[in-house]
Amino acid sequence: MSYLKELVGARHVLWALTYRDVRGEYRSTILGQLWSLANPLTQMLVYTFVFSFIFSIKSPVGDPSGVDNYALYLLCGLIPWSLFQTASMRGMTSLLSNANLISKVYFPRVVIPIAGTLAIGYNSLFELIVVVVALSIGGAFVLPWIPLVIVLLVLLLCLATGLGLALSIANMYFRDTQYLAGIAFQVWMWLSPIIYPMSLVEARSAEIGPLLGTNITVLDIYGINPMVHFINAFRALLYDNRLPSLADGVACFVWSLVSLAIGWLVFRRHEKKLAELL
Amino acid sequence: MTDNVAISVEHVSKTFRHFSERNQSLKSAVMRGRISQHRDFAALTDISFDVHRGETFGLIGSNGSGKSTLLRCIAQILTPNSGRIAVTGRVGALLEVGSGFHAELTGRENVYLAGAIAGLSRKEVSRVFDDIVDFSGIQDFIDDPIKNYSSGMYVRLGFSTAVAVRPDVLLADEILAVGDVEFQAKCMARIDEMRSEGTTIVLVSHDTAKIEEFCSRAAWLDHGQLKSVGPATEVAEAYLNSLGPDRAEI
Repeated sequence: MSYLKELVGARHVLWALTYRDVRGEYRSTILGQLWSLANPLTQMLVYTFVFSFIFSIKSPVGDPSGVDNYALYLLCGLIPWSLFQTASMRGMTSLLSNANLISKVYFPRVVIPIAGTLAIGYNSLFELIVVVVALSIGGAFVLPWIPLVIVLLVLLLCLATGLGLALSIANMYFRDTQYLAGIAFQVWMWLSPIIYPMSLVEARSAEIGPLLGTNITVLDIYGINPMVHFINAFRALLYDNRLPSLADGVACFVWSLVSLAIGWLVFRRHEKKLAELL
Repeated sequence: MTDNVAISVEHVSKTFRHFSERNQSLKSAVMRGRISQHRDFAALTDISFDVHRGETFGLIGSNGSGKSTLLRCIAQILTPNSGRIAVTGRVGALLEVGSGFHAELTGRENVYLAGAIAGLSRKEVSRVFDDIVDFSGIQDFIDDPIKNYSSGMYVRLGFSTAVAVRPDVLLADEILAVGDVEFQAKCMARIDEMRSEGTTIVLVSHDTAKIEEFCSRAAWLDHGQLKSVGPATEVAEAYLNSLGPDRAEI
């Protein structure tokens, strides 16, 4: 109970640290906030060139939006993915980059990784606007779906926060974690339907059929990845302009809660030792 | 805990792990079959004392005696392995001046940031903002990024912010020597003022003259053990005597 009271008292420092991360990040750069777009947009150009132009992968036609454009299809997956990756990584490294605070002042430590992911979430709003404008030019009618997109963004941030909290502790014990995570995120990205459409995975899975005499299919294993459901849900809202499937919606919701709960528990267990682990 | 106790320290012990090979990599953990080799080092052993409300209390001892560790336990930065520490009121820890400042932000933004870290809302910081700027004497540069500040300006702004948040209990670690002579005098005056307003102050120093000058009572720590608690002059005397006839090495 007293911990909850402490957290409520820590809201000022949460906002202040988030503000610091948002403002401090691109200060003294000429392009400022535009830099947060640079990475996903470059990826979009490269992947579109390679997969659409050279490999001629066909993106599905948006149903019912009627949009048929690989670059836009890609963007609807890349933006949520890059938000998830940067937010988790920021959460993970936040304790080390705020070592001076941890060793000199007391406030509930959990504020530090959360402020890191919130700052990334704030940047993502900017990216979201760009996506919405691009989709509108491409012929999708996105505006009515924006409230749901924001709900989904919040869930995605919860997923990233939970993971970031757990990884930040792991990184205090083993500094290898951050390098390992960098590689894991690369693998994770290719195991999510970002660059290729989900339908290709479904087709391959149906071709192969149940594995080793069990009922499990490739698709079942593929679906363990929470980002599969998040990307599907984002695409449904942004690209297709329809409600995500119930299964995807429930999966996003459950995964984000589970992640947040586990991250929180791990963090709470080790919170008091942080100053010694630096 | 009675009403007039601001800080109560009961049977506090703190052990640090010293890693013979500070190796936080997975490879070494796997190779050795365990996380790391370490030996325990007792930084504080069964420390108990009370600091009364409104008094200025000194912690003295040689380097490595555990006084800074104790201060950091009181500030909740470290958690004791056993025993308990209870503090009433808002704690302000001045373990380092300007900790929490961000180089890319302006002086103004940093004051708000440091205020928030100390637990104040924006409104509360706004109320004392002018005092902070006046006290620091850097009005002309308050909207410059602090990476352009001289080290003196940095320290002045840090100290001004730390004392302006009006903590009930101020924990200070060797920080009374900040800025130039003129600013130091100003700091002393401010600390006196806080004392007369009833702020409880805990001062860590190995400079016994300073402790005798400022503190009514003091505790002497030696290798993590509490040697004595009492009136500052007596404790300081006992500490100096323990150093032997050659007092040069303080």
